Amino acid sequence: MAGNADIPDVPNPPVTKPRVKMFACPNCGGSITLRYPGASMSVVCENCQSIIDVNDENYKILTKFFKQAKPFTPLIPLGQRGSLKGKTWEVIGFMVRSDVSSKYFWSEYLLLNPYYGYRWLVEDKGHWNFITTIKKKPESNFRVAGIGGIGEVLTLDVKRYRIFNSGRTQVDYVIGEFYWRVVIGSQTNTCDYIDPPLMLSCEKDESEVVWSTGEYISHKEIKKAFKLDKLPNPSGTAATEPPRAKKSWEKMGMLWALFLALITCAQIWLSGTSPYEVACDYRGIYLQNGKQNDQTTPVFTLQKEMSNVQITVHAPVSNSWFYISGELVNNTTGATYPFERTVEYYYGTDSDGAWTEGSSDSTLTISAVPGGKYYLNLDTESGGYATNNKDQYNLRVIRGVPLYDNYFWFAFFLSILPLMSWTAMRNEEVSRWANSDYNPYVSSSE
Amino acid sequence: MLTLSCPSCGANVNFQSKSSVFAVCSFCKSSLVRQDLNLDEIGKIADLQDDLTPFQIGTTGMYNKEKFEIIGRLKVGYKDGFWNEWFTTFGDERVAWLAEAQGFLAFCYPYEATDLPEVKTLKIGQAVDLKEKGIYEIDDIRVVKCLFSEGELPFDAVQGRQSTSVDLTGFELEMATIEYAAKETRTFIGHYLEFDDFQFKNLRPIDGW
Repeated sequence: MAGNADIPDVPNPPVTKPRVKMFACPNCGGSITLRYPGASMSVVCENCQSIIDVNDENYKILTKFFKQAKPFTPLIPLGQRGSLKGKTWEVIGFMVRSDVSSKYFWSEYLLLNPYYGYRWLVEDKGHWNFITTIKKKPESNFRVAGIGGIGEVLTLDVKRYRIFNSGRTQVDYVIGEFYWRVVIGSQTNTCDYIDPPLMLSCEKDESEVVWSTGEYISHKEIKKAFKLDKLPNPSGTAATEPPRAKKSWEKMGMLWALFLALITCAQIWLSGTSPYEVACDYRGIYLQNGKQNDQTTPVFTLQKEMSNVQITVHAPVSNSWFYISGELVNNTTGATYPFERTVEYYYGTDSDGAWTEGSSDSTLTISAVPGGKYYLNLDTESGGYATNNKDQYNLRVIRGVPLYDNYFWFAFFLSILPLMSWTAMRNEEVSRWANSDYNPYVSSSE
Repeated sequence: MLTLSCPSCGANVNFQSKSSVFAVCSFCKSSLVRQDLNLDEIGKIADLQDDLTPFQIGTTGMYNKEKFEIIGRLKVGYKDGFWNEWFTTFGDERVAWLAEAQGFLAFCYPYEATDLPEVKTLKIGQAVDLKEKGIYEIDDIRVVKCLFSEGELPFDAVQGRQSTSVDLTGFELEMATIEYAAKETRTFIGHYLEFDDFQFKNLRPIDGW
């Protein structure tokens, strides 16, 4: 026996009457075993598949059959016990149901624990859900439209469930025993709402409305619980399949937003505190179409302990070029920071009209220059001028310039993984909702 | 506790609750009606053939941190099924009912309802005003018959006793039941609860479990 581990305080050893009851089928005379007399209302004869009313000992035939063929075989045999959600459950009934309009079939297993009542296992394309009937009623939040009509978004116990499918469901095949008078062909209106891995379902017929909650269970867990040799692998994405990609996207998206905010704040702070101070504004002489070497600027001061230095060069070039190479020299330590720059500007007219190329200004940045006294050694060269006069160029040294390159690169690399995660999440949701008549990923114009 | 002897077989018949006016002798199954210290036999209760329930007379449980004990039971049937109503006492004058149907459990107290609608006018989905207890909605209306009774009960629960039982639900897990019987109309108010919430003890053993 499965043991009483999950049932509190049942005196041991139990002194009980045998529970199981046997009687002859009023239709075919075959032997019927009723596992839970006093709880079950109807039982299916294994031999002729007629459905017998066992509410009293008149054993009325509810539906008469003379069938030998068994079109459906349950994946978990009737009578099998398994431990799910910390309790032992016995499979006592098996039903195949289908959507009336689409003829889409799935299986339902009725579970019983005489202490805890009834539960259901629903199997659809290898995916499993554990279903519990509830007394609480969900609240309606708002309506959504889909090809299945108008659906709802419901709230139950602070969880929000979105309409997934609705339709008319019928009973096609039954074996085992049930707590009501089961009728082949009986129909109910059903609606499924999801908040993966959870589900909320509503079944409505002429006399009652029944609500239930469901939770996705992996087929491996079912296999282990009921000690089965094999179970078909699930195919496709089930409505309630745990949203793994969504979960990881939610985590990653949060971190992403946090880091983006952090580096943006850092960038704003850095920009705000950059001195942007012109340390040296030097005007030098150069020779058109010639070289002018060994110019030295006066000594100037770079503030702050450590910051970048921006050097901008301006020369009056016009269909000509100007080249400067130099070094920033620390007057105290002699440390040097070499650089070179070309300024060139061309213009003209061709078959496409007027054109220009280049600029008379150029900028470069030297990062991480310690503060202190500095001067510049400069060599220049130029070409393309029509004349050979002397001319004047301008060179500025600016201390502490706010830079955005690093920020943008950092933000870009930081976004690669989150974007992949978002794509995976979206793919998961699109494939989940592909089977829904209320698919939010299909625009209404399609 | 009041102990009287069965007028039919002489066995002891215990009354744990002052509100109990009916009992079934556990020995000879005579159904007995009590008037003060007098017991009258009014019939016999036939045994139940098939009975699958985790409860029995003597099962104890907890409700709002207080211990209650099952002292009587009424099993009623309707055309599509049956349920059990377990009569419980808290050891003082307070009594309550534990309703058990297909694994669902509700614990409810008697409530003095006034201005209830006529039984004939009731419809499923109709709202019923239970005054300070709130508005409840009718889920089910069933004509029921007493199938079986045991222990002690606060009314004459003879087999075949007929009544109309109306189940209502309120906010969240609140529930109510109105029982329209020939002589009286009784109202109960309570909650649906989970099996484990009650911390039951002395449950009935079930073969194979």
